[in-house]
Amino acid sequence: MDHNNDISGQDDYTKFLSREKYFSDHIVNNSRSMISIINRDYVYEKVNVPFCKAQKGMEESIIGKSLGDIWGQDTFQNRIKPNIDKCFDGATVRYEASFNIPQAGRRFFEVVFRPFPVESGEITHLLAETFDITDLKLSEKFASEKEEEFRRFETNLPIGFLRCTPDGMMMHANKAFLIIMDCEDENLIYSTNLRSYYAEEGLLDMHLEQLMDHKPKSFGRIPLKTCKGNEIVCRISAFMTFDESQNPSYIDFSFEDSSRELMLENRLLQAQKLETIGALAGGIAHDFNNILATISGYSELLQNDLPKSSAFAGNVAKIQIAVSKARSLTNQILTFSRQVEQEKVLVNVYEVLKETIGFVRSAAPSNIRIRSTIRVKDAPVFADPTQLFRVFLNLMTNALQSMEELEGTISVTLATVKGKKIQKELNKDIVADEFVLVTVRDMGKGMDPSLLRRIFEPFFTTREVGKGSGLGLSVVHGIVSEMGGEILVSSKVNEGSVFYIYLPFFRGYAPLTLIPEKNRKILFVTGNKHESRILSLALESAGYEMTLSYDPGHLNKMISDKKNSPDLIIYMSDAELVRAEDIICIYTDQKINTPCILISDSNLTSEEEKLVNSGIVSQQLTKPVSLREIISAIQVSIN
Amino acid sequence: MPGIMIVEDDNDLREMLKVSLTRRRFTVLEAENGKDAINHFKPEVTDLVITDLIMPEEDGLKVIMRLHELKPSLKIVAISGGGKAGPASYLNLAKALGADVVYSKPFSVNDLIKKIEELLEIEQGV
Repeated sequence: MDHNNDISGQDDYTKFLSREKYFSDHIVNNSRSMISIINRDYVYEKVNVPFCKAQKGMEESIIGKSLGDIWGQDTFQNRIKPNIDKCFDGATVRYEASFNIPQAGRRFFEVVFRPFPVESGEITHLLAETFDITDLKLSEKFASEKEEEFRRFETNLPIGFLRCTPDGMMMHANKAFLIIMDCEDENLIYSTNLRSYYAEEGLLDMHLEQLMDHKPKSFGRIPLKTCKGNEIVCRISAFMTFDESQNPSYIDFSFEDSSRELMLENRLLQAQKLETIGALAGGIAHDFNNILATISGYSELLQNDLPKSSAFAGNVAKIQIAVSKARSLTNQILTFSRQVEQEKVLVNVYEVLKETIGFVRSAAPSNIRIRSTIRVKDAPVFADPTQLFRVFLNLMTNALQSMEELEGTISVTLATVKGKKIQKELNKDIVADEFVLVTVRDMGKGMDPSLLRRIFEPFFTTREVGKGSGLGLSVVHGIVSEMGGEILVSSKVNEGSVFYIYLPFFRGYAPLTLIPEKNRKILFVTGNKHESRILSLALESAGYEMTLSYDPGHLNKMISDKKNSPDLIIYMSDAELVRAEDIICIYTDQKINTPCILISDSNLTSEEEKLVNSGIVSQQLTKPVSLREIISAIQVSIN
Repeated sequence: MPGIMIVEDDNDLREMLKVSLTRRRFTVLEAENGKDAINHFKPEVTDLVITDLIMPEEDGLKVIMRLHELKPSLKIVAISGGGKAGPASYLNLAKALGADVVYSKPFSVNDLIKKIEELLEIEQGV
């Protein structure tokens, strides 16, 4: 309707009212808010244009309708009515709400209900004003999401971020930086200068100077000192921000801890080095065995020609002994270089470890205690038990030697660990599902990093020249690697060392092996010491039927039982009750020609020598003997 | 006396074996590598072959297979001394392929001769 035309000719009051109505209608209808007047029956008595637009309706179609009709009974009863009732009680009510608007879908609103009393003061109506605050809400939400995103990015990334003044004073640092730098108190960091974390003096200033050209810079791996004084290496990048007059205002840094990366690189380098040395040493050992075979052959020919009483015969025998020592050395080198395939059987690490601990306990001096923590008693692996014994024995013997004059404890633990957990530690792409973990910890002298790097190299020894070949740990490394396992070591000078041996947990799949002589009966004459128990365990696992014999009486009985006579006799030199002479007697008295294998130390006793010369012994092996060696000897002897 | 062929690439070792065997009055033939052994094999005068397993030009396993084909009654002794693929597994393979006996270096030449005489059923006695 057009008010202007009606104004002239009316009385002043009507004119005034009409003007007022014009203004108020103009204001109300041009407002961006939805404005309405609601009576006590919750019915709209007046609505403005934006209200109608939002509802896609005409003024006439809304006026007279109840709020329940417009907004739905549920929304009205639960969300609108309680607020309206408060307003009819005299309060101005403000709240935020979201409604579905026919035209625009879901929108956010700030709703204000104001009491709209009549002259008497009675609140018969209320004025509802609803502002669309969707855009505000959305931008608020967007901002807070962005902020949260950045915060998450900054706190969760394992990269240290920090901002410092052009002088290096710390302004801000994220959680990762604190973790990398081993800082427990965040506030402490703000009183420090970035310089104090640099291990090399003057390096930061050099970096700052380089940043002056307004370009972001990567400085590579930089040695740093943590809050606790530990040395670490971080990959550092930075960018300098300048103010309007081109003066530096602050510098942003990123710190990426690359100590682990460096450690893994070093370990890879070590592994490659060992591989190279192994290939080289293996090649030499191979050629050397040819030479040894020649020496041994000619000395045997010489021995054949000399009468046994000849003084020269003794000298020739010494050549033979030297050859057998050299042979054991080449064997060790071949084991290290993994050129000796191990004969593997299913074995419980617990059994082998138990025997090794028993053996070491009996040999340990009184100032050293050996404590074992067995977390699992079922630790199946696919391995040569005799080699495993050798690994554990070697590590424990080293532990004993590192503690020589010190009081203390050697701790041995057996546990299983999930492959996933140690994948990073082992630096392998493919790991077994589960590993058997044996640790050997000593409280000895420990080793510094330069020593630690080389301990698995063959011929590397810290002992005096002549004491020990320096092959021990290299052989251990070879055996463990050949099993698909891994050996790790950590050490601190004057605190001790820990060796970790990871062996793949056996899951029931066994590669084919060539042991054609299974189910043969073997009579094992032994003193039942730890080492022979392991060997017996190994042979049993390999499929042989083992009978143990400790005394001549039992031995005699076993051999005279013609129905169950053994296919082979193994005589181990640790048999205290059965002497080599007893074996000769039994063979002569019972007139048997069962093949016999002698396992002895490298220096034969005169009795053992007699046994060898008697022709009874078909194969003679020198300790330590591997399952592969003994099985070969059994095969040769039985055929 | 029976004829024995020695297949070994190490000259000194081959010479030692030749000396040991000729002393026991065996007729000895020599080959430096597997290829030579196969090409110059004389079945009518060879009763036994001693072969190294890891050699240049056809390895010992091939020698064992080929010679066995040429003369099934041939006795075969395999020796090895720690090679690239592991001597023990090679020796086992050699046995599976038909070697009568296997030795790893260094071995006792007396044992070896004793075993050879057993295989060739020769009256023993030093």
